[in-house]
Amino acid sequence: MIEFKNVSKTYAGSDRAVVNDLSFTVADGDICVLVGPSGCGKTTSMRMVNRLIEPTNGEILIDGEKNTSMSGTQLRRKIGYAIQQIGLFPHRTIAHNVATVPNLVGWDSDRTARRVDELLDLVGLPPDQYRDRYPAELSGGQQQRVGVARALAADPPIMLMDEPFGAVDPITRDRLQNEFLHIQEDIKKTIVFVTHDIDEAIKMGDKIAILREGGVLAQYDTPENILANPDSDFVSSFVGTDRVLKRLSLVLVRDMDLDPANGSDNLPRISDGLTLKDALSEIIGAGADRGLVVPDGNGGSPSGTLSIDAIKTLSHDAEVTSG
Amino acid sequence: MGSALGATPIAILAFLQSEFATGEQKKVGFIDWEWIRDNFREDIVPAFFQSIYLCAVSLAIAIVISVPLGILAARYRALYPPLTIITGFFYTIPSFSMFTILLFIVGFEVGRTPAIVALVLYSLLVLIRNVVTGLDSVPPETKDAARGMGLTDRQILFRVELPLALPVIVAGMRIAIVTLIGISVIGAYIGAGGLGDLIFDGITRDFPTLYVTGAVLSTLLAIGADLLFVGAERIMSPWARRSRGAT
Amino acid sequence: MNEFMNVLQRPDFIENVRIHIEYLVFATLIGILISIPVAILVYRSPSTSTAAINVGNIGRAVPSLAVLVLMFPIFGLGFDSALFALTLVAIPPILINAVVGLRQVSPQILDSAKGMGLSGRQILSGIQVPIAAPIIFAGIRTSAVQVVASATLATFIGGGGLGDYIVEGYQRNSTAIALAGAISVAVLAFITEAGFWGLERTFTPKGLRIAQKRGRARK
Repeated sequence: MIEFKNVSKTYAGSDRAVVNDLSFTVADGDICVLVGPSGCGKTTSMRMVNRLIEPTNGEILIDGEKNTSMSGTQLRRKIGYAIQQIGLFPHRTIAHNVATVPNLVGWDSDRTARRVDELLDLVGLPPDQYRDRYPAELSGGQQQRVGVARALAADPPIMLMDEPFGAVDPITRDRLQNEFLHIQEDIKKTIVFVTHDIDEAIKMGDKIAILREGGVLAQYDTPENILANPDSDFVSSFVGTDRVLKRLSLVLVRDMDLDPANGSDNLPRISDGLTLKDALSEIIGAGADRGLVVPDGNGGSPSGTLSIDAIKTLSHDAEVTSG
Repeated sequence: MGSALGATPIAILAFLQSEFATGEQKKVGFIDWEWIRDNFREDIVPAFFQSIYLCAVSLAIAIVISVPLGILAARYRALYPPLTIITGFFYTIPSFSMFTILLFIVGFEVGRTPAIVALVLYSLLVLIRNVVTGLDSVPPETKDAARGMGLTDRQILFRVELPLALPVIVAGMRIAIVTLIGISVIGAYIGAGGLGDLIFDGITRDFPTLYVTGAVLSTLLAIGADLLFVGAERIMSPWARRSRGAT
Repeated sequence: MNEFMNVLQRPDFIENVRIHIEYLVFATLIGILISIPVAILVYRSPSTSTAAINVGNIGRAVPSLAVLVLMFPIFGLGFDSALFALTLVAIPPILINAVVGLRQVSPQILDSAKGMGLSGRQILSGIQVPIAAPIIFAGIRTSAVQVVASATLATFIGGGGLGDYIVEGYQRNSTAIALAGAISVAVLAFITEAGFWGLERTFTPKGLRIAQKRGRARK
């Protein structure tokens, strides 16, 4: 658990705070995304957790203990750290890069070697092929995976990730995000994740902290609640005027109650793995007012139909209830 | 702060003014300032200008040779390694050896000519390398855009590539001229004239004023040339400076 | 030709080769011992780095003959005087390259190293120096070759070395003696260049060599 308590940061010689009285808690196993426009202090806030930057005021508690209770170097060996430009050591092999923190904290070489292989597998890089390569031989996407593996190496309970998927193309980024969410289902780390992209925040975050310029917390809530109930004009406009549609991307077709499927031969086929947003897009595009829901993949019989009305009701109800 | 290395000997010498008066010659302190005043016009100034002439001519010749060669090497890459090896060969030979070889094997007469030959050979490596590096540093997109706008290869070379490569080329000239000055003082030994004459004469005649003057002036000449070219570099790349913003 | 070989077999010749090599080794070594710690001290801040590089540039500009000659009034004739001068000649290339080399290590690499919990000393020795090593070695190589060349001039302040034969050859108008000096120094210079070039390759971490090759290919 990570707790920010009235954390502020002002740089010497400036009178404007970069982070201003930030208070929130990240629950164990949650991914908390810090998001906001540039200048909102999100990266600064993240870097105060592992004390690469020290707060001017306030404190940060990790599992109830102040993060100043040990030296910065000791602290950082217990926190995974992955940054946008990755920062792999070019003069070391991939295996050596991943093994950095285990080596620092003194694991024996067998255990380290096994862990390295395990992690390379986890991030989708077959160890036999990649163990002894050097960073310059890898593509951007591959290097980013190594960065994640390296951050996970010593099995830290907490991870800090600063736009870790930022330096690759959108398709690769999408894949990396999905893979990471998949890994997180197993490892359940407590993660502070920084991004400037609200869509990435909605996709990745269990909770989102929206920061505005000057490092002020604008809203801290689940993605659903932020989309349904923006606290302020700033949040609404940051989230985007298409926020209702964005919310539809949080629900999958298969999670909905469906109408029975009878006499539905002319309807567009909707895979049950689609988000409501994509489903709506398909139905409207076909000029229909409902779609025939089929299981993801090719086999299986239709499980029902989904109407535009049903989607409308869901959105509206959510607006009303959280209103 | 920068001229510490050059200023230290002068400072030490000034400090030791009284210590070294041997009484053999009529000296005021260590440096015979009277002598300097008397012979300034006759000996010192001509030596100074001889050095400048020697170096300027050598640099000019070297540039005239290096730039076309560099352009060729940048375009026809296979030429570059052998060119580097040959010019590197000349660069590694110590200058005093080079002079000697030019005199005793190649058969030059003592005087300016072998000195200029040596100076030119010596500068080729740095100049060619910087021409190639400078041309390499021109972004391919820029050349592509130029070609797309209908410029011929020749126009691209003269209007786009060389101007953009100029800062790096000038940086190479800076390195070259500074090393040239250093070598040219040695060249006085084989009759090339210049400030080195003051040094060698002074040593032979055991007349400190002479060789100290020669040493100090050649140092100042070298530092001056360095600063001149640094200034030139800066004037030449305003676009680089502006885009970089705060350095 | 015979005369040439005779010169090489003179007892004082071996002696002067030894002296010349001593100049090379000591001046370069002391140059390293001074430049690297200074570089480590100054590289972190842009202003001290620039100052150090400026001093280095000025130092490089000073003609080596001038340095040697100016030592004479202070330290007198002989080996020590020349060695002091040659050490001054050796410092600038190493200093400049060490500062530049340490500074060019990408800040993201340093940030990720610090963020993972490497201590300052571990970062310096495990990351920065190895990554800067190729550049630093290039500086040492430049220095060493320059010392060999400048040591030829040590003869003018009575420091011995192979320059003695060049001067003797001029004064006695003997091609053999002059060339014995000139060619032996040139050979020594080449050996030094080749030797340090080899060292440079040995000390360039493999990962960096690959990165350099890739970088060139990308152009």
